[in-house]
Amino acid sequence: MSSTDQIQPVAALPRPKPLLLRHAPYFIAAAALVFLAASMRFDGYILNILMQATTFAIAVFGLSVVLGLCGQINLAQAAFFGFGAYAVGLGTTDYQLNYWICLFGGCIMALVAGAVLGLSTLRLGGHYLAMVTISFQQIVTLVMINAIWLTKGPDGVSRIGRPSLFTSSQSYLAFCVAVLAIVGYMVWHLPDTRLGRAMRAVRDNELAAGVNGIDVFRTKVTAFAISAVLGGLGGGLFAGGFAYISPDQFSFAESIVFLTMSLLGGVASPIGSAIGTGLLILIPEWLRFLKSVPGLYLAIYGLSVILIIRFMPDGIWGFVTAAYDRIRARKPAPAIGIPLVLKPAATGGDMVLEVTGLSKHFGGLKAVDQVDIAVHRGGVHALIGPNGSGKTTTLNVLSGLYEATAGKVLLDGTDVTTMPPHLRTAAGLGRTFQNIRLFRSMTALENVVIGAERPGNTMVGRGDATALTERALAALTFVGLGPRANELITSFSYGHQRLIEIARALAANPTLLLLDEPAAGLNSSEKLELHELLKRIAAQGLTILIIDHDMTLVSEAAQHITVLNFGRRIADGESMAVLRHPDVVSAYLGTD
Amino acid sequence: MTLTRRGFTAGVAAGLAAPYIIGSARAQSGGTIKIGMCAPITGPAAEAGKYATGGAKLAVEAINKAGGVLGKQLELIIEDDQITNPGIVLAFSKLAAQPDIVGFLGSIRSTQVHAMAPDVMKLGKPVMFGGTDPNLTKLGNPWLFRFRPNDSYSGRVIADYGVKTLGKKKWAVLHSTDAFGTAGGKALTEALGKLDATIAIDQGYANQSQDFTPVVLAIKQSGADILGSYFTFENDLGIFARQLRQLGVNIPWVGSPSIVNVTALKLAGPALYGTYGVADYAEESTPGAKAFGKAYREAYKVAPDNQSSWPFDAVNVLALAIKNAGSTDPQKIREAIVAIKKYPGAEGEYNFDKNGDGLHGYNIVKNDKGNIVFDKHIEFDD
Amino acid sequence: MDLVLQLLFTGIGIGAVYALVALGFVLIFRATNVVNFAQGEFSMVAAYIMVVCAVDLALPYWLSFIIALAGMAVVGLVFNLGVYYPLRHRTYLPVIIATIGASILMANGVLALYGPQPQVLPGWFETPGIQLGPVYLDSQYLLIIAVTVVLVIFNYWFFEHTMLGKKLQATSQDKEMASLLGISVSTMIMITFIYSAVLGGLAGLLVAPLLFVSIQMGSTIALKAFAATIIGGFGDVAGAIIGGLALGIIETFGAAYISVPYKDGFAFLVLVLFLVFRPQGIFGERVAEKA
Repeated sequence: MSSTDQIQPVAALPRPKPLLLRHAPYFIAAAALVFLAASMRFDGYILNILMQATTFAIAVFGLSVVLGLCGQINLAQAAFFGFGAYAVGLGTTDYQLNYWICLFGGCIMALVAGAVLGLSTLRLGGHYLAMVTISFQQIVTLVMINAIWLTKGPDGVSRIGRPSLFTSSQSYLAFCVAVLAIVGYMVWHLPDTRLGRAMRAVRDNELAAGVNGIDVFRTKVTAFAISAVLGGLGGGLFAGGFAYISPDQFSFAESIVFLTMSLLGGVASPIGSAIGTGLLILIPEWLRFLKSVPGLYLAIYGLSVILIIRFMPDGIWGFVTAAYDRIRARKPAPAIGIPLVLKPAATGGDMVLEVTGLSKHFGGLKAVDQVDIAVHRGGVHALIGPNGSGKTTTLNVLSGLYEATAGKVLLDGTDVTTMPPHLRTAAGLGRTFQNIRLFRSMTALENVVIGAERPGNTMVGRGDATALTERALAALTFVGLGPRANELITSFSYGHQRLIEIARALAANPTLLLLDEPAAGLNSSEKLELHELLKRIAAQGLTILIIDHDMTLVSEAAQHITVLNFGRRIADGESMAVLRHPDVVSAYLGTD
Repeated sequence: MTLTRRGFTAGVAAGLAAPYIIGSARAQSGGTIKIGMCAPITGPAAEAGKYATGGAKLAVEAINKAGGVLGKQLELIIEDDQITNPGIVLAFSKLAAQPDIVGFLGSIRSTQVHAMAPDVMKLGKPVMFGGTDPNLTKLGNPWLFRFRPNDSYSGRVIADYGVKTLGKKKWAVLHSTDAFGTAGGKALTEALGKLDATIAIDQGYANQSQDFTPVVLAIKQSGADILGSYFTFENDLGIFARQLRQLGVNIPWVGSPSIVNVTALKLAGPALYGTYGVADYAEESTPGAKAFGKAYREAYKVAPDNQSSWPFDAVNVLALAIKNAGSTDPQKIREAIVAIKKYPGAEGEYNFDKNGDGLHGYNIVKNDKGNIVFDKHIEFDD
Repeated sequence: MDLVLQLLFTGIGIGAVYALVALGFVLIFRATNVVNFAQGEFSMVAAYIMVVCAVDLALPYWLSFIIALAGMAVVGLVFNLGVYYPLRHRTYLPVIIATIGASILMANGVLALYGPQPQVLPGWFETPGIQLGPVYLDSQYLLIIAVTVVLVIFNYWFFEHTMLGKKLQATSQDKEMASLLGISVSTMIMITFIYSAVLGGLAGLLVAPLLFVSIQMGSTIALKAFAATIIGGFGDVAGAIIGGLALGIIETFGAAYISVPYKDGFAFLVLVLFLVFRPQGIFGERVAEKA
């Protein structure tokens, strides 16, 4: 793979053909399916099965966004499905409204409910989110059953209308298939959009997503809202298809069914979702004979869930694509002739970073206490200290992962003390982590593209796909990994992963780069390479604040050193002078 | 792939027929008159499904032994409805796709009948059912025929018995908040209103409650002197009955049919002694009921209940209507069913009205130390 | 006043049931950081074992009780090996889903073996209850409250004053540190699962005479118990007990004074309010991941 010189370098990447043109086969296939749905003669049974599968699949697509792309659990998809279904059901019967208005209204209701639920709880994440969505689901079910004046209660709503354009079941099915195809197309392409990349980044590593300029919370809420809307849309179509709905069709058990559909097929992809939905609707029909013993079928179903999670963590489709990926060689990335240009912003005078009186207390523990750091523009500044001296805590406060107890942080003249991580990144901060935090399910290129997407990055023009890719390739080439850009993170060595993390930060064209123990875990030749890299970065005028234990690296690379011990600053100044400072010597050698 | 429907015993057929087989199976048409039936073969109500299909099969066999209808044998085709709404919609659509089926048996659960009603309307063939929600025959759907007395009658019978026979005027009404319970509770309060009784408390509860103390205390505080109830699940009924007695409420209690079913008697035990229940099927009530009980016991070695009596009547009435009409034309069958008067079935005497309701009264039975005894039959003629 | 006292007793009784199940949640959560969605099914399975032994086989009540709890120990062991252990290095999400799968498996496995009819299990005592002035005290509820109190004391003694308990504590607080001290982390986690399954089973055996033995008996209680765990403070034994009792009381009074049909909604409403408005306050743990 090290054959960079054999590939003819091109000045810039060729413009790809327009998306719609490249995906013409998809639309032709979708149109054929719609045509088949409209023209083939199905009997009522097949029609009902297809109708169910189509509308369910749309809701399951929603889960593939929130769970597959963004990694957030939603155990209330049936409730959102119900919002859409009841909007269409009650709207077309009790209120005599136009079908389209009802469908639209149902989607809006689901959207609002999803967004509100997300806004109020997505800061919690994990188990709490699971529990809150279950609670929401239960409350919605109770309301559907008991608010008889509104929902007609357990009797359900019957004689639900359809749009006048699609009154026959076949044409309505064709319409649903068309909606499915369009939604499927959008969900399929979501991962390659800025929003989709942000979701995947949040799923892979929330902290790293934040420090790469992604608004984690907003991304999660958006994913949740999209999921809810698709739930509502599926439900609205379902109500029109079956003409009758009742609360038991939107219960917690149904939410579990949606979840299993999505897991079975492969949560990360709409194709997987469609496969899972189809299977879970058809399998029970095929396995009816198992149902002669009540419970047996569901017991096997429960067991399969455990086994799928255990042996096919990415579902059937994930399993297939993984096998395919093993056979198919990754295309080497095109070599690129554009060198990486770092043009750090300079608005705040001589000081890039001014930290005054910074403190971080955990309860009674003063991890960082009244620390001042002044980082001059250009060159390398090191922050050192023995283990537990508060270096990493300082870095975490600087990048916004911890809230400062007291003190002030000025980045290039801007007060960033109270900003969340993504806003600090937008303001020009870049960082790496001691324990590497890359987005592990993505390629090196995708990782670095997320870096390049930093809001306020002036080096990528309007931020279109080609410019971002060019910038990312340039950054990878800068650290020497250009040709391997299309490989997955997991195929890189530890040392190379560090370099990718640095490339990701560089692609964002930061004003200040924080490096958290970049030499940790590297062998001696890798350390030399790292040293060279730091020099090349500094040569372009980018200021670096580095934490490391490796005194050789620090003393050779840094012009200026700040020393911490027990959370306090004990020395600060020009490198050689600081290293000879008696307090520093005693702190390291422990003679005191 | 040549499959004859005849070769299948009906219950197994539902299990083995993968969707793609149906197309070829449908082409077959023998010299039989086919009746489709949706019943829970699987799922939580599979036990009830056995009773239902048992009752229907008993009628089919008896008719066939006596020479069939219009010179043809009857054939029952059963599809599994899994006791769920989507389940019955699928099962019914599977049956409806077979053009030679002349009539259908639906479900004993009202919500399932609601779910299938639009499809019944579209198909335009007679469907017999056992759900007791009064609204079902008021949907303007001419193809639905009910083979159990509806809940407006159970409500009226509970009210009539409580007010006129037991002489109690101050009522507590308790019902579950599902479709069955709300409809029943409404029918009971309306009937009580017409009898000039007062309603001290009208209380709904959610299914699968773990505790009824607040409900019992509310009934106690209301000062009601009689309780009328619509319980859906036996375990709720059991917990409520025990807590009712523990907290010292001993007023007379007339309940919907679940109060006298076998599971409830087992779970609640002595807490239900002395209570009254309405029952559409009571073996001692009529000669027709007695005969059915005897035949069912001989065939299956267990006592029948209302799950099996209504399908038995439904098949018989449908056969009679086809015979009277002399044809399997849906419209003619419909007219023949509506014309049936004074037909002695297992459930009681059928007099079909224009809505499609066949029965207009209920039996009252009493729990006498765990034994269910027939008390009286109350019939309405409107 | 009589009314309030009667409601209070019932609330505490039903709350104690939630608390018992919540205890199992907390122990597993502390040890593994995983919420076990099959905790309620432990109660259900134990109750069915009890029905088979005490009713169908007519074994003595105490012996059936011991067999059922021993059976739960085995269930806990198998659960640990089959559901948690293979996924221990993955994130919480696959584990949650696997426990949901396990809960479906257990509920329907029992349904397939035993059928859908609810069963009756007699209580410990011949006397159904005692009338104390205006308040009727159900003997089974009294037993449950007593057992809850005893368990609180036992847990305190076990975790603070026995070697095994301390090792379990150490494991749940810091796995790396524990393994450096020579504690086998996977053994400790296995013990936790066994103990939680037995606790869940105990709860099931105690409520079965009150609520009957049915397939759904575990899941409704477990959902409430989980809410109780969060209200009381996740990862805290005393918190789970207090949360359970609080929930039982809220629910009972809510049903009496606000609405009976929405009774099940109160638990979830209170839970959502807590989560939205006071998450850190009750959890006392950092929600953000450490850098």
